[in-house]
Amino acid sequence: MHKIETKNVNFFYGENHALHDISLAMKANTITALIGPSGCGKSTYLRLLNRMNDLIDGTRLEGEILIDGENIYDKNTNAYDLRKNVGMVFQKPNPFPKSIFENVAYGLKVNGITDKAVIEERVHTSIQQVALWDEVKDKLKKSAFELSGGQQQRLCIARALAVQPSVLLMDEPTSALDPISTSKIEELLFELKNKYTIVIVTHNMQQAARASDNTAFFYMGRLIEMDKTKTIFTKPNQKQTEDYITGRFG
Amino acid sequence: MTIPFEVELEKLKNTIIKIADLAEQQVTEATATLLAESKPENKVIKRTEDKIDKLDVKIDQICQKIFALKQPVASDLRFIMSAMQISNEIERIGDLSMSVVKKTKKINDKHDLIKRFGIDEVCKQIVAINQKANECFISRNENTIGEIFILNKSIKNKTSEAIHEIIAVMKTNSKTVVSGTHLIIVLKHLERISEHCTNIAEYVYFMINAKIIKHDKLGDIEGLEGEE
Repeated sequence: MHKIETKNVNFFYGENHALHDISLAMKANTITALIGPSGCGKSTYLRLLNRMNDLIDGTRLEGEILIDGENIYDKNTNAYDLRKNVGMVFQKPNPFPKSIFENVAYGLKVNGITDKAVIEERVHTSIQQVALWDEVKDKLKKSAFELSGGQQQRLCIARALAVQPSVLLMDEPTSALDPISTSKIEELLFELKNKYTIVIVTHNMQQAARASDNTAFFYMGRLIEMDKTKTIFTKPNQKQTEDYITGRFG
Repeated sequence: MTIPFEVELEKLKNTIIKIADLAEQQVTEATATLLAESKPENKVIKRTEDKIDKLDVKIDQICQKIFALKQPVASDLRFIMSAMQISNEIERIGDLSMSVVKKTKKINDKHDLIKRFGIDEVCKQIVAINQKANECFISRNENTIGEIFILNKSIKNKTSEAIHEIIAVMKTNSKTVVSGTHLIIVLKHLERISEHCTNIAEYVYFMINAKIIKHDKLGDIEGLEGEE
């Protein structure tokens, strides 16, 4: 069974038909990169996977999105539970104005975990998972804003991991970072995929090529092609994909 | 100033065409020298060889620059990878042509030996396979690839037969040993030129189809007809 399965999904912002008949499937413990020019629908699609678009008025979805075989748009699905299972990391690091420790503990507390030992253990584990422990272990009580951009982004990933999701969505997670921080996040992705299924939106073709197992190319709200990353970047099936990745349009 | 990617690719293609053209001249010159009755002069061939070496380095530099600055993918990546390999193959063809000319000087009674062992036919085929390999790169024509494989097989058979016959003559007539040995080396060089032309065809196939066929037999290669 696929971890994430999208069946004939159409999505509308009011009258605007943003996604057309998207069908794709992702296996567990893989990294899938979503690429395409601005406005092609890749971020819209990503946000559908944890029902973030529910928060926008006038949106409408047709079709099915299954995670672990369950339709996440079923009326019995609780969006809060879903978002616990499907974590999200955004383009710009967005730590809360709290301490490093509190940033990671926040999601746990919101979800009703009060046992201090459990919180502490989860915070430590999550910070270690994102390879930030050595850099922050002596200043956990200091403000998260004191960290560099790259450290803040890893902290945000740790915050997403603390609630123990099984899917991690990333919307251009390194676009605001320098090459060294970017490389650290990409190395981290390889570590994380052993535990999580990762979907990453990126405008950086090299990043998609370096860091993902599969790549899906979106154009004007349609999925043009999805295949192994190696195939997409060596011999894509569709001319539109070839033209986009070789920089001839888009 | 940043040069557009398309312009860089065109420049690379044109440089390959240029080096291929020079190598074609070398092969034609080398085979003509081998077939000629008089002893060869190799000044022109030496000058062309120098030009080929310079272009080979230039191609490496263009490719290095494109890899570093443009990060090519898909068909662009295959073209540049193939261009680097093809340039190496062409450079080797140039070297071998030069060696053919040098060895030819040492063959006494050359014309008699050439007539006896059908080397003129091998030379014709060598010129043809080299022209086809260059055409195949320029036009990206898959049909030519099959023809090159067949021609290579024929050249191998002919050189092998000729070498056997030369050895047989050398066994019975010791006066032919020195010239015969040089002629065998020349035949081996020609065979290598044919192999390099076949390699060029293989890289063109990779460029078009993204499949590596280095160690495949002709009959097993998708889209190519003919028997080896």
